[in-house]
Amino acid sequence: MYDNPLTTPRATHGRAPDVFHPGGWVPMREYPQREAVDFVVIGTGAGGGPLLARLAERGYSVIGFDAGPYFRPLEDFASDETSQSQLFWTDERLVDGANPLKMGANNSGRAVGGSTVHYAMVSLRFRPEWFRSRTLLGYGADWPLDWREMWHYYARAERDLAIAGPVSYPWGPKRPRYPYRAHEINGAAEVLARGAEAMGYQWSETPLATVSAPRGDSPSCVYRGFCRVGCATNAKQSQLVTYIPRALAAGAEIRDMAMVGRIAVDAAGRACGVHYHRNGAWHFQAARNVIVAGYAIETPRLLLNSATDRFRNGLANSSGLVGRYLMTQSNQAVYGVMDDMVRWNKGPPSLTITEHWNYNDRKDFHGGYCWMAQGPLPVEWSAAMSTSRRLWGAALREKMGDYNHQVGLKMVGEMLPHLDNRVTLADETDRYGLPIARVTYSWHDNDKAMIQHALGEMQRSLELVGVRDLWRQENDTNHLAGTARMGFDRETSVVDADCRSWDIPNLWICDGSVFPTTGGVNPSLTITALALRTADRICVQARTGEMRK
Amino acid sequence: MANTTSPSGAARTTLTLLGSLTGAALLGALHSHARPPPATRSPAKAPVPDPAAANRAARRLNRAAGTLAASVLFDSTVEHYRGQFQNRAMYTPLVTAAMALGVSAHGTMDERQTPHVVRDTVYALISIVGLVGTGFHLFNVRRKAGGFSWQNLFYGAPLGAPMAIGLSGLLGYLSERVRETPPGQVPMIWGLPAGRVVGVVSGLGITGTVGEAALLHFRGGFHDPFMYLPVTMPPVAAIVLGRSALGPAGIARRATRWWLRATAILGLSGTAFHAIGVGRDMGGWRNWQQNILNGPPIPAPPAFTGLALAGLAALGLLEDHPDD
Repeated sequence: MYDNPLTTPRATHGRAPDVFHPGGWVPMREYPQREAVDFVVIGTGAGGGPLLARLAERGYSVIGFDAGPYFRPLEDFASDETSQSQLFWTDERLVDGANPLKMGANNSGRAVGGSTVHYAMVSLRFRPEWFRSRTLLGYGADWPLDWREMWHYYARAERDLAIAGPVSYPWGPKRPRYPYRAHEINGAAEVLARGAEAMGYQWSETPLATVSAPRGDSPSCVYRGFCRVGCATNAKQSQLVTYIPRALAAGAEIRDMAMVGRIAVDAAGRACGVHYHRNGAWHFQAARNVIVAGYAIETPRLLLNSATDRFRNGLANSSGLVGRYLMTQSNQAVYGVMDDMVRWNKGPPSLTITEHWNYNDRKDFHGGYCWMAQGPLPVEWSAAMSTSRRLWGAALREKMGDYNHQVGLKMVGEMLPHLDNRVTLADETDRYGLPIARVTYSWHDNDKAMIQHALGEMQRSLELVGVRDLWRQENDTNHLAGTARMGFDRETSVVDADCRSWDIPNLWICDGSVFPTTGGVNPSLTITALALRTADRICVQARTGEMRK
Repeated sequence: MANTTSPSGAARTTLTLLGSLTGAALLGALHSHARPPPATRSPAKAPVPDPAAANRAARRLNRAAGTLAASVLFDSTVEHYRGQFQNRAMYTPLVTAAMALGVSAHGTMDERQTPHVVRDTVYALISIVGLVGTGFHLFNVRRKAGGFSWQNLFYGAPLGAPMAIGLSGLLGYLSERVRETPPGQVPMIWGLPAGRVVGVVSGLGITGTVGEAALLHFRGGFHDPFMYLPVTMPPVAAIVLGRSALGPAGIARRATRWWLRATAILGLSGTAFHAIGVGRDMGGWRNWQQNILNGPPIPAPPAFTGLALAGLAALGLLEDHPDD
């Protein structure tokens, strides 16, 4: 009988799904609710996954909570674009502001493994200067971290995720060899390469978290192109098939379909456990330490929803900055048609990249952006054509006939942090009775200037290689960041460099929400590197007795 | 820490088993004395060249050329089928390798001491075809975006592959030259002792094949430790063979012989290693129609066997016909 992971938890009775074998199970340790575990980690994505694995491997008792299902990639992921929505966080949220965000597809995930289950696997490092963008580049805010230390953790994250990347990366300081070689580029990726060469810009294969040769029980990528529907081959090195199995083997417990609604705080003002909803009822798990890794919407929502008499504005919020400085990344695109057959849907969607404008500062706006080759599947493509190009009926049908000749370039651009872009609580409540998030977002002049610059550049590069029938998709945004920024002091930030909250010493926040600036690259690798660093820092602080302070 | 980088289950078992078998075969090669060195092999007493020995060496070279041709035939069939025979010229290696295989089989059985005009012509022809094929592959890589980049060296037409059939032709051609040695004379090629020429050609061939294996195993990220074998053992074989071919002749070269035998065994067990690799791709052997095309090339490793056999033939020639 098929057990529906969307309705019934799978990680129960001392076992969790074996993601590598159909119908298989791996043993899982279970902790009693009343006895405090060392760590509760809320969220099992790019931030939560590495923390679970590293802390469990260091001998701590750890439970990972995820509101989403525990998928079996080999059985649950269909070659069907519409099944993709099961991977998104589609609970109701209110969006407003001058440029309301479209929530769901490319800025959320609801599954064990988080959004890494459906992400496009793009694994890029920040430009070193971005960790000091206020001081060195004159915008945003500095990170309280040294880029060289992050470089060390990036390397470890790349090893752990077996990133398949180019032999030498054209931009930034030297980095170690990627563990796996870059994938063969597809037709769409070659158009980017030729376009970049025509502009005199460097291009590269994109470092991707999908293996180009077998790794353990993961087979090599078969270039189905359904990466964002959930990889059904396990070539994708998502959290679900990397850190989570490691965490289980080291003694961590995963509670799937478990929505944490509130972090409890004791009389001394320390976090003491979490209230969570699972199997139709509320439960309480006692914990000595709590780590929140729910990403830029759910993390502030949980902190705000956990307000007490002592912390009236929400936990870790004495600065008033929880929910503030929300950032997204501009994700505009230029599309066109080639005379030759391209078949852009074959293979991972973003096989080549140019980071030219991330590393070149001769521009009249702040921040950077990259652009990557594209390969949307037909449903996504028809949605883009109908919403951005206002095509419908026969006209849409006719344009869809060009699908195999279509090419496109899509930017990932750095939007700057602004106090008024924020997450607050709405009056409405969700199915658990918890106030839902209100997400307010407006683009500012710098953001708009960057988008126009990028659209012009991408369009020119396509024109230079003979792409015709060009049009611009001007409204898209994707990854999120901010809302619990890290910083140098408790007045201007929510957490310190170790992702530890200034207000509550045993409460950590470790996901994209701690980013002071978001950079012009996809954030997942930076989140993972940050989580690896945080795990190390926790161990150091435990050893030196700093944890008890 | 949980091991997420090594395979589990059947793949692990078969890899361990095959690794042990290969190790045992290598040890076996060390201890076997297929042919005790004849008593006449003393530098002090120049031997009378034995026409039967020349024929034996020639037939060994036919066998080496045939092994190489078989590897090319199957490999190019799979790879060019994968490339959908987009260009009609892609049928060429199928024809030439099949011809080389045919004439090599004929030569291996032929005990006459005169070259055969058809064999000779076919061998000479395919040596040239190998060169032309290399040109084709060079052109293919050059015209891709990025030119001679790692991307195109990895995924474009493999630059070294056409020379395998060229080498098969060259070895066959050398075989015919050895075969036509008049009775009582030392086999000579291009005015040089045949053993030395064949040795150098085989050594260079092994080196080139190591280059190709290194490139493609690098592409595979050396994800399995066994993938280091073909880039570590055959280079030693090529060096010791080179030393034998260029150094004093007429002495037993036990170490050289062992390294060449080891390389020949490695070529065969490589086929099995690659078959396991195919089984590790999505769907395993049940999905053979796709995985044979996308997994490691099963027919490629015996190219090492072919070249090692040629090296052993060279060693035989050097020992049978010392020229110093």
